[in-house]
Amino acid sequence: MRGLMVGVVALIWCVSVMAGDIVVQKVRGEVTVRQGVAEVWNHVATGDVLKPDDTMKTGEKGSAVILVTDVSGSGMEKRITLPSQVIMDMSDVRQLSQEELMLKLAMEKVRSSPYEWKTDELNIPNASVVHGADKGVSHTLVGNDIQIGIMQMNGTRVLFENGFYPTCVLKAMEVFRLYPPLGERFENRLMVAEALERAELKGEALGEYGGILKLVGLTAPQEQFVRSKIVQLRK
Amino acid sequence: MQMRTGLLLWTGMIIGPMAVEGQSLMDPRVVGLGAYTPAVKDSRGFGWNPGGLTQIRDWDFSVSTYTGVSSADGGFVFHGLTLGKRFMDNEALAIEYSPGTRLRLVVPPTLSVSGIDAPASNDREIEYSEQGSIGFAHRFSQDLSIGVAGRHRLERITDTRISLVPRDSILLMPVSSQIEYEARTWLIDLGVLWTPFQYLSLGATGKNLLRLRDATLPDSLDRLALPREPIASLGTVYRFSPEYLLALNIATDGQGMMGQEWTPGLGIALRNALYVDGHESPAIAAVSLGLGWSYEFVEIGVSYLRFTDRTRHSGTISLSDFDAKAVHSLDLNPYVRDRVSLSVKAIFGNIRESLARIEQVEMYGAVYPSSFELFAYRPIGKARVRNVSSKRIQARVSFFVDKFMDAPTESPSFTVEPGEVAEAELTAVFNERVKAVSKMTIRDANIYVTAAPAEAYDDRAQARVLFRGKNDWDGDARSLRFFVTPDDPDVLRTSRDILLQNKEALSVGAGDLDSFRKARVLINGFAGKLMYVSDPKLTADFVQYPSETLKIRGGDCDDMTVCFASLLSSVGISTAFVDVVPPGSPEKSHIYLLFDSGLKPEFGDGISDNSKRYIVRKGKNGTETIWIPIEPTVIARGFEESWTAGAQEYFDEVELGLGLAKGWVRILDVN
Repeated sequence: MRGLMVGVVALIWCVSVMAGDIVVQKVRGEVTVRQGVAEVWNHVATGDVLKPDDTMKTGEKGSAVILVTDVSGSGMEKRITLPSQVIMDMSDVRQLSQEELMLKLAMEKVRSSPYEWKTDELNIPNASVVHGADKGVSHTLVGNDIQIGIMQMNGTRVLFENGFYPTCVLKAMEVFRLYPPLGERFENRLMVAEALERAELKGEALGEYGGILKLVGLTAPQEQFVRSKIVQLRK
Repeated sequence: MQMRTGLLLWTGMIIGPMAVEGQSLMDPRVVGLGAYTPAVKDSRGFGWNPGGLTQIRDWDFSVSTYTGVSSADGGFVFHGLTLGKRFMDNEALAIEYSPGTRLRLVVPPTLSVSGIDAPASNDREIEYSEQGSIGFAHRFSQDLSIGVAGRHRLERITDTRISLVPRDSILLMPVSSQIEYEARTWLIDLGVLWTPFQYLSLGATGKNLLRLRDATLPDSLDRLALPREPIASLGTVYRFSPEYLLALNIATDGQGMMGQEWTPGLGIALRNALYVDGHESPAIAAVSLGLGWSYEFVEIGVSYLRFTDRTRHSGTISLSDFDAKAVHSLDLNPYVRDRVSLSVKAIFGNIRESLARIEQVEMYGAVYPSSFELFAYRPIGKARVRNVSSKRIQARVSFFVDKFMDAPTESPSFTVEPGEVAEAELTAVFNERVKAVSKMTIRDANIYVTAAPAEAYDDRAQARVLFRGKNDWDGDARSLRFFVTPDDPDVLRTSRDILLQNKEALSVGAGDLDSFRKARVLINGFAGKLMYVSDPKLTADFVQYPSETLKIRGGDCDDMTVCFASLLSSVGISTAFVDVVPPGSPEKSHIYLLFDSGLKPEFGDGISDNSKRYIVRKGKNGTETIWIPIEPTVIARGFEESWTAGAQEYFDEVELGLGLAKGWVRILDVN
């Protein structure tokens, strides 16, 4: 009887995790999860099922192992280890096709530029200068917590190491936007370039390598390495 | 002793010859082309088809004369003149004075008394004339005109009575006295001219449809009365090219004509025609040749008409052979002689020849008052223009709707080759009165075409323009921004009142967050007073102006989005619409709002440490800032909830669903 019940529970568990869900297999130390666009972090335990819009964070001495079933509908299972000091969106644990990645990259441009009204549409331009700005406005905000950015970058590296190159690239771009100093670090940019290369986006990879050469403070071996990559890609 | 015989003698009329003195083929173009029912284009020969009068350009005037070709004929005889005028664009009126439209038979009588022929002092005369006509036509559309004409017909028979009067030296002296019999009739004709295609015209005329008599001939002279039965005439003109046309005409009185006209250039027109009459032998009763020449406002024509039956059309006929019932028309009948006609026509007023014609006007859709400014740039319709001249022209098309436009809007000029067609798009600069249209209204729009170098329009057409109500929306998110009215006094008052009420709270904290906090205060300040209400049934594309939403304190997602975009814009906060049209489920289309917090991405933690709650966008000045998504349908629950709902939607649709990349999500900046 007990065996039957275990079997039923196991079956229900299997069904519940079959639809591309993410299951927490192992938790050590402080591991929390934030759901969707909420701002509150909640503790997570082994066996919890995460949703694609969840975000997982591991603490200073924490780590977690998650099992992703049916990665992007391929039926594959993937076990991913999150080391300490990582923030990772579960929505990034998916394989995007090369076409989807290119669309996403295009979207980055769209998101970054206003809608271009067609020439036959009446566009009443705004004044480029707004008179009457409040001179009394104070600028007391501090910048984003760089430590959070580093943890997100660590999450990006997890994606890279597990072969999620397209989402690695996109996430890295977002992190660079929110934490500009991280976008000036050689190792971060190199990871993005290599991810693009492995995603077989040769042109984009070349562009990224070219961008790395413009970074300030590159060492000679670093520069030589990047140049060799560029030569290699151009062949 | 005087003895009156009181005897009326018709002896001489039975054996005597007659002279045919006149008939009316008023204009050389009429004679030269023959088949004129579908070819009437001005006041000349309008009796053939009064519907053609609408082709008069402005004033026209013509005078004509003719002469016979035999030595017995005298010189040129004044035939008549016509005067035509087109007015109010679609109406035309013409009058004709034609003393030459006359058939006169003179019967020299002889008196035989006791074997002695004695000439009488006066001839007997039979005279038919139509000296006056008037015609009116109305153009119902570009293709169809109908006209009506009245002809005044006079039938006069002058009889001579011979009385034998005893005299002193002569036993009986013949003395003549005249008696006149007259019949006066107004005959009403109806004509239709239909031009379904530029190259094809059809004309139909019903003659003698109505007869209004004020005097009749005595029954004893009925055999000399002209027939008054209705006659139908049908004709067609086919233009093989701008230079060549062929015309055909048949009538129920047994007559038919076939004519052609060739205009090789230099204003010259060559014409010829065959006239067929079933009552004559041979059936091809006559042939004609014609030559015309026009320059600027003057047109001169000459024609020659020759009959094949030389005996019958000799100009004399015995009374026994004369059959008044064969004279269906004074224009053309068996008793007409060969002739040469000459006429001069002049055009006054708008004397320029039309160079272009509007063949078709197509309106693309309705005018939404909310976005009426768009039509200054976006075409409202198009017009198809044909070059009807023999030269290359530069044309422009203009569009005008009375009351809703202050002046016509002209298209750029475009070139059209001779005979070719070009399409021009119509734009319209409407005035503010459009915004006062409270419900759907249809107005007439005038479309004009002008061709260089003229200043007056060459042709004009009308089209129907549908003006939607001021709250109607075409469903295109791009048009929704025209409902956003940040400078509306109600909006300004509302936003300032709310900010003023929260002045103290706003004065605390970092200035970088000013826009964000103002937005929060504005939304929270009004949120509790608003209620989500669906559009009225059957008006799914109904959008309230912000002042209306603020007044009735409710609306659907479109209304709320527009209202809050206006409130935020009124305090200097940029906004954008997120337009979502899920693939395969357009009925689930949705719009929500983004506003610019003005905060740089690197300060995002100041708003939220969850970057999924905001969007980084580059503004028009090239600076990346953080934009906040707001779902207006839950705005009644306050800023935080509408932000959370908006952010979740954006994340699901754009980040997970790739909607922006795949094109089913669009972000449209409002201001």
